[in-house]
Amino acid sequence: MKRGLLVVPILLIALFRFADAAGGDQCFTCHDGLGDKESSGYKHDIHFAKGISCAGCHGGNAASEDMEKAMDKDAGYIGVPKGDEISKACASCHSDSAKMHSYGAAIPTNQWELLKTSVHARLATNGQEQIVQCITCHGVHGIVSVKNPASPVYPLNVVKTCSKCHADAAFMRSYNPSLPVDQVEKYRTSVHGQLNEKGDPKPAVCSSCHGSHNILAASDVKSRVYPVNIPRTCAECHSNPEYMKSYNIRTDQFAQFSRSVHGIELMQKQDVSAPACNSCHGNHGAAPPGVSSVSKVCGTCHALNADLFSASPHKKAFDDEHLPECETCHGNHEIVAATDTLLGTSKDAVCSRCHSQNTSTRGFIVAGIMRGLMDSLSTEERLATALLGEAEQKGMEVSEARFKLRDVHQARLQSRTVVHSINETQFRTTVDKGLTVATAVVAEGQHAIDEYYFRRWGLGIATVIITIVAFSLYLTIRMIERKRRASAVKNYPMK
Amino acid sequence: MNTLTRKIYSWVNDRVQLDNLVEFMGKKYVPLHRHSVWYYFGGVSLFLFIIQVVTGILLLLYYKSGEALAFESIQFIMSKVQFGWLIRSIHSWTANLFILSAMIHMFSVYFGKAYRKPREITWLTGMLMFFLALAFGFSGYLLPWNELAFFATKVGTDIAGIVPIVGKPIMQFLRSGDEVTGATLSRFFGFHVAVFPGIFTVLLGIHLILVQRQGMSEPLGLEDESVAERKKMPFFPNFMLRDLLLWLIVLNLLAILAVFFPWELGRKADPFAPAPAGIKPEWYFLFMFQTLKYIPGKLWFLDGEVFGIMLFGIAGLLWMLIPFWDRKSSRGEQTRFINYIGLFVIMYIMILTIIGWLA
Repeated sequence: MKRGLLVVPILLIALFRFADAAGGDQCFTCHDGLGDKESSGYKHDIHFAKGISCAGCHGGNAASEDMEKAMDKDAGYIGVPKGDEISKACASCHSDSAKMHSYGAAIPTNQWELLKTSVHARLATNGQEQIVQCITCHGVHGIVSVKNPASPVYPLNVVKTCSKCHADAAFMRSYNPSLPVDQVEKYRTSVHGQLNEKGDPKPAVCSSCHGSHNILAASDVKSRVYPVNIPRTCAECHSNPEYMKSYNIRTDQFAQFSRSVHGIELMQKQDVSAPACNSCHGNHGAAPPGVSSVSKVCGTCHALNADLFSASPHKKAFDDEHLPECETCHGNHEIVAATDTLLGTSKDAVCSRCHSQNTSTRGFIVAGIMRGLMDSLSTEERLATALLGEAEQKGMEVSEARFKLRDVHQARLQSRTVVHSINETQFRTTVDKGLTVATAVVAEGQHAIDEYYFRRWGLGIATVIITIVAFSLYLTIRMIERKRRASAVKNYPMK
Repeated sequence: MNTLTRKIYSWVNDRVQLDNLVEFMGKKYVPLHRHSVWYYFGGVSLFLFIIQVVTGILLLLYYKSGEALAFESIQFIMSKVQFGWLIRSIHSWTANLFILSAMIHMFSVYFGKAYRKPREITWLTGMLMFFLALAFGFSGYLLPWNELAFFATKVGTDIAGIVPIVGKPIMQFLRSGDEVTGATLSRFFGFHVAVFPGIFTVLLGIHLILVQRQGMSEPLGLEDESVAERKKMPFFPNFMLRDLLLWLIVLNLLAILAVFFPWELGRKADPFAPAPAGIKPEWYFLFMFQTLKYIPGKLWFLDGEVFGIMLFGIAGLLWMLIPFWDRKSSRGEQTRFINYIGLFVIMYIMILTIIGWLA
């Protein structure tokens, strides 16, 4: 009997122990029973599906039914993580490739490291945490795979997610008052945005250009949208024939741009004032400029050329023919340095593409005259440069002429601009100005070279004269010394 | 002598007693021995100084001092003024040849022990003129206000500023402030065309009067020979005509240098531009500049550069005062020690200059 009485407490203890070690996610069981929104959201969370309990982030003993024990700080319970602790909680698994592997996930494990280097990792206005945590973009208690259309970072949702902050003027003012907040509005007008709105996840969204975890300020040289890097960023999609197949557009723009004068300046010479893709197409509102707006786009930098063209007879002719203005002669992505060969009536000249049909037309004649004038100026400039170079090599001082030569070069550059007016008189005036200076420089260069030879001849003549005088002097000295010796012998004859 | 010349001579002689001078000149002889050739370098130095005075005055007609005008005025002289290029090039080349010739003259006097009694003052005035010639070179180098001149002056005055206690005030005095500016240029111009020539002329006058009064010194060994055995040449006209012949050759050499190697002007000085790489002083300062490079940063309790400057200062002073401590030579005794010092100095200057030039 005594033995039977002993079994009861043992069984009771065993029952309690069993209840304590009931297994499963007791946190979820209780909270789900309470019907709170965190647990109802978590049901759809990818982490829930992988069997990760609430304690995975909040700590504590998820196996205990006893709330006291389950939420015991000694058992590692941290409650609701605050500030950077949130991201650190995520990183405790997401930065551990072994752990991630154990859950069968093949996603990268450097997100936290990347996030820490990004512009979003700067200190928030409260001075206690970084601006953006993982949950800011990925959400919480309902996190799904980025490939899941329900994810806030799924391509069709990412714009909305980013704009939660970036379209909030009051919020953005706290961090970067000069940063525009209309990106999303512009984006909706872009080709990318319109396709995105139609449900196509392939066109560029914010993260396609700016990156995701490692977003840097556009002024940062390492940023994907730093001017020098933009062409390569755009080319990631636009140079991928497979990716772009369904849109039926060319994929050689990057290759063409790389060979262009703009591409060389930007990508080889690292000149950030040179245009990148977004300079002509826009960035958030990216779209190809239409026929009517090409000259306006180019004219933002090439203002004088655009103004002269707009006032020229070509403006109406191009409009009538629906020809894009600058692009017709200069091309678009592969704009090479403009040379004089573009002008004139030869086979290579762009004028002859339209004007060669009838050689007696005014346009054909003017093109020929302009080319002739341009050639005269170039020839004279080359001659002047060569003469000054030769004079300098001969050690002559021609710095003033060298300074004037700049005016010739300037006149040639001006004439290249004035050529857009297609006005013969205006063009001739500009070229003549350069020709006048060039002729003067040629004369100065020639004079310096003549002077060089004059100096040598002068030296030769002076040397001859000095030699004659010196020789005469030598003879005089000899004569005097001979006389002296003779006189000495006479006064003191040898015995 | 034709009648007209005789008449003019008589006219002048009646007034200034030229006969006395001619008589004095007629009695003046130049010793002839195997080292006589070195006597000519005194005359060559004088000739080069005269060229400097003449070409300097001609340059003054067009040169404009001042930060905004100096470079441009030299440019104008080089390109627009008739024979301006020749005058400027000759002035620059002569400056260098003058220092070279004066240096040769100095060493020939040194090895001939010509500084010994009674010519101590002649040696001292000569040495002071040599230092002045270096000062002429240093001040004149800045006047074109080009890049090299600007930075060379900056480095040069910086070195002066290192000297303890007096260095800083000297540097500020030379620069007319803390930095090399247009004010420095005006100051250097004043030194170059007024102060130095004035002092130099006085020293040159004393030097030449002493040479005429005391005659040419003879090397020590020669004094043992009897007066009758010694060979000599009349100063007038024999030596003077030989001098003239050499001057003509030097003049031709200068013309060749000016035509074939015109003195470059370079780029205008820009105080805000970084110093061009490999900046060096003129060749006659190069051995000192190179030495300062080799001296470690700290030597005992002294700063390396201070040590170097003090070393050169003491060496220069000892060199200048040699007539007063070389007692043997004054007594007419031969001393090899002095020759070894001289040889060491020549070798040192030559080797360091070559290294500095190639560096």
